[in-house]
Amino acid sequence: MEKATDLFSLKSLKLKTKQQELLLRISILGLVYILAFITRLFSVLRYESMIHEFDPYFNYRTTLYLTQKGFYDFWNWFDSESWYPLGRIIGGTLYPGLMVTAAFIYWTLRFLRFAVHIREVCVLTAPFFASNTTLVAYFFGKELWDSGAGLVAAALIAICPGYISRSVAGSYDNEGVAIFALLLTFYLFVKAVKTGSLAWSLASAFGYFYMVSAWGGYVFIINLIPLYVLVLLVVGRYSMRLYVAYNCMYILGMLLAMQIRFVGFQHVQSGEHMAAMGVFFLMQVFYFLDWLKHLLNDQKLFQAFLRITLTCAISVGAIALGVGTASGYISPWTGRFYSLLDPTYAKDHIPIIASVSEHQPTAWSSFMFDFHILLILFPAGLYFCFKRLSDATIFIVMYGLTSMYFAGVMVRLILVATPAVCLISAIAVSATIKNLSQLVRTKAKPTQGGSGKGTTSTKASSKGALDRSLPYQRNGAIALLVGAFYLLTRYAIHCTWVTSEAYSSPSIVLAARGAHGNRVIFDDYREAYYWLRQNTPQDAKVMSWWDYGYQITAMGNRTVIVDNNTWNNTHIATVGRAMSSYEDEAYEIMRSLDVDYVLVVFGGVTGYSSDDINKFLWMVRIGGGVFPVIKEPDYLVNGEYRVDKGAAPKMLNCLMYKLSYYRFGELTTEYGQPPGYDRARGVEIGNKDIKLEYLEEAFTTSNWIVRIYKVKPPKNRW
Amino acid sequence: MAISYNTNSFLCITVLLLLVPINHSLNSDDLVSELTILRARSTTGVIHLSNILLIRMLSVPVPRPFTLLVFFDSQKLHSDSEISLPTLKNEFLILASSFHANNPANNKKLFFFEIEFQESRASFALFGVKSLPHGCLVSPFATDFERDSIQMESSDFSRHAESMAEFVEAKSKHTVGPIHRPGFISKKQKMSIIELALILSLFLLKKIISGNTLLHNKNTWMVGSIFVYFFSVSGTMYNIINKIPIAMVDTDDPGKLVYFYDGSGMQLGAEGFTIGFLYTILRLLLAFVTHVLVHEKNRNIQRLVMFLAIFVSFWAVKKVFYLYYWKLGFGHIYG
Repeated sequence: MEKATDLFSLKSLKLKTKQQELLLRISILGLVYILAFITRLFSVLRYESMIHEFDPYFNYRTTLYLTQKGFYDFWNWFDSESWYPLGRIIGGTLYPGLMVTAAFIYWTLRFLRFAVHIREVCVLTAPFFASNTTLVAYFFGKELWDSGAGLVAAALIAICPGYISRSVAGSYDNEGVAIFALLLTFYLFVKAVKTGSLAWSLASAFGYFYMVSAWGGYVFIINLIPLYVLVLLVVGRYSMRLYVAYNCMYILGMLLAMQIRFVGFQHVQSGEHMAAMGVFFLMQVFYFLDWLKHLLNDQKLFQAFLRITLTCAISVGAIALGVGTASGYISPWTGRFYSLLDPTYAKDHIPIIASVSEHQPTAWSSFMFDFHILLILFPAGLYFCFKRLSDATIFIVMYGLTSMYFAGVMVRLILVATPAVCLISAIAVSATIKNLSQLVRTKAKPTQGGSGKGTTSTKASSKGALDRSLPYQRNGAIALLVGAFYLLTRYAIHCTWVTSEAYSSPSIVLAARGAHGNRVIFDDYREAYYWLRQNTPQDAKVMSWWDYGYQITAMGNRTVIVDNNTWNNTHIATVGRAMSSYEDEAYEIMRSLDVDYVLVVFGGVTGYSSDDINKFLWMVRIGGGVFPVIKEPDYLVNGEYRVDKGAAPKMLNCLMYKLSYYRFGELTTEYGQPPGYDRARGVEIGNKDIKLEYLEEAFTTSNWIVRIYKVKPPKNRW
Repeated sequence: MAISYNTNSFLCITVLLLLVPINHSLNSDDLVSELTILRARSTTGVIHLSNILLIRMLSVPVPRPFTLLVFFDSQKLHSDSEISLPTLKNEFLILASSFHANNPANNKKLFFFEIEFQESRASFALFGVKSLPHGCLVSPFATDFERDSIQMESSDFSRHAESMAEFVEAKSKHTVGPIHRPGFISKKQKMSIIELALILSLFLLKKIISGNTLLHNKNTWMVGSIFVYFFSVSGTMYNIINKIPIAMVDTDDPGKLVYFYDGSGMQLGAEGFTIGFLYTILRLLLAFVTHVLVHEKNRNIQRLVMFLAIFVSFWAVKKVFYLYYWKLGFGHIYG
């Protein structure tokens, strides 16, 4: 009788802890959701609510167009204001997911009678989706391990710098929503494999569709999932659930993806998508053989049949691939994809990819910067995953390792690796803390009566650890717990610091520390773009290096020759050639392109190092790649890039040099230095007496960061 | 990259010049046949030029019956990634072998030489070579090697063997012909190899599906994952793509090697490996403690190893963070 009441009270207590646990879980998740949002608001607080960087300006401009003109106009938009004189078919050359999402949020808010400006919606889209990602991370972690791991994963990903770098307020870029879509697709697919349900695989197909509509990184999904399926096949984990999940997801996902014009028929035509198709057919063969084996009871007959079908299937597949590639029906891999597999490829062959700083390979310190202690927890998490192998943990291990490799090849792909690293580390943290707290509580149990904190579930009183417990076990466990919490606090401090210092600057407004430690703001870019908007004719064409194209069209509302959508290498090379030629030669090129204004970015006065002079060698390389008259050695002295007296003569007289340093020789920039001292490169310039013949200075911003020149009309008398 | 001489080398030349007429008074035909023999002996078709050989060539009356193409090499500068001497030397060898392959009949008119700074400083001085990379063409009429030799410009090096060949063809009357790169696989061959591998892999797959092979073993995958992890986080890709050396010479103190680069934008090879190794220690210790140590019967040993493992892990983490803060230079923020 006594035992029965004991049991009863324990049972009611257990129910109560479960409720408590649910409450705690929901409130933690809610806090994490809010945390993920507010930690990304540093830039809004410090500067103002504005769009950052370069690409987001294009996204903003198109979203504006979408909300003003409606979806069909947006879809059929031919933009004559960029890539003059070629123009650009916007609807067919972008991933519309981000713009449609923002417009949808905007319309919803309008419908609810919140009078917001579309800019505010765009600025806050990325933080909002980061919050949603934490929810997905929670469910994913729960699926992989348990709800504790889910909570830790949500908390880790909420503040992980690798993700924050692309999702702060104002960073209105595809990646902001794409990471959410990526993780959602993976979660739904894992769920589909686990349950074998059509509903989940349908959901994952739609997740995939959203991902395809948002970011070119969907190629990672369409290659990772087949690879995962292949591995499951290889290690003998083939099941009907897998068959249903993959086939449904692949076929539907493919059909849906074809609705995006930019992607079109690539799923059946491009080499990058062929792996998925191959695995699809392989699965059919697998299933077919399975079925036959079931029908034919004769083992020998089956073996003979197997040999024939396999040989036939493989040769047909190989011939199809060969013929498709040879006839040009299946396009070969693109440079970007190829450079992931053979990382040295881009550096040697595609300067336009290699020139972008975020395409550089990753040094160990960048890993540390973006992941911090997660790097150390990651292997431990892998260990736990291997220890409890299931279809889900195999998936996360594969996702983690492949994305880790890709992150090593390209800095920007750290972003893709971040969710995996957070999830795997969360498993490590959760499993370790759970084990430790169980150890702590086994001793305490008789006295405290199991009224634990409730964050970890109280099942299975740690497998008879009581009888084999070591001395110091409890103290050791407490010490280790304290250590773990110390590490996690360090992580939080690091993340906050990185977010506030490194990832929250808009890069269109520059900030520097003044001589007295005060913050100095350089707002030259916007000054220049507004000048263009207000002081030049409506139809003026502006030539600049492609980095500034999106900003000029979005803020200056003027036509540009090239912009950040680097779709036409020859056109960019033409601009590169103009910039690296002598003024008279450049004038011919500019006349042929109807250029009215030339815009250069110059950091010699402020010490701003990512200006055009520092990018100039890439202009030469890209120009020289198409026009062999431009030779890189002509601009170098003994392989060294210089702008001072010892610079190469071609360098000292090319258009870019002249436009950057025009009248600079008269200016004293630093106390104790001669006039014409370039603070970005720390030298006195070599050509102080610059005369312009075909161009004239139109506008220079207050800190000389942007300089605009007007191209003179041709002389009509000689 | 500038190179330095000591004054002795000039003395050395004078002595050599004085000695030459006494030692040899050979005619040009002998020299050509000797050079042909030397070239046949060399595996690469490039003759190693020594001080004595050079002086003897000088002693032959002009016009000499052949043209010289000399590549100036220095083993000491091979580690300098900026001037990439090993690559250029390799290209020079390709140029030589291509020339010999294309002109089997005419190959007594142009000889390829390489010369090493460490052993032939005097010859470097004779050519007036002040910096590397340096290559020059000596016409049959040249009497003063410094004045009359035609120097390769940096643009002639820029596109490797092809541009060197253009230089030779422009500055002398010899034609080099197409460049043959050894071991180069054309794209078509590559594709067919890949296809073959794919077909083979499918047969392998059949075997894998039926049997209990290495791939079914969890440990294989674990080792693989350790490798991928090590490979990525240590920034090995960075080193491979940018061809970063393991260590570099300290600019302030040439005798000292720098293994850790101070600054977040760059890393050296040794640095990446150290970090990767520190990370991996942790993981291996974990595996050791959970899989090997539990079989140990003696409690005290268990305890001791456990403490040791904790201590080493702590040290490794501490070290990683120390290096990281040092590298980024913001240690002061955390203290």
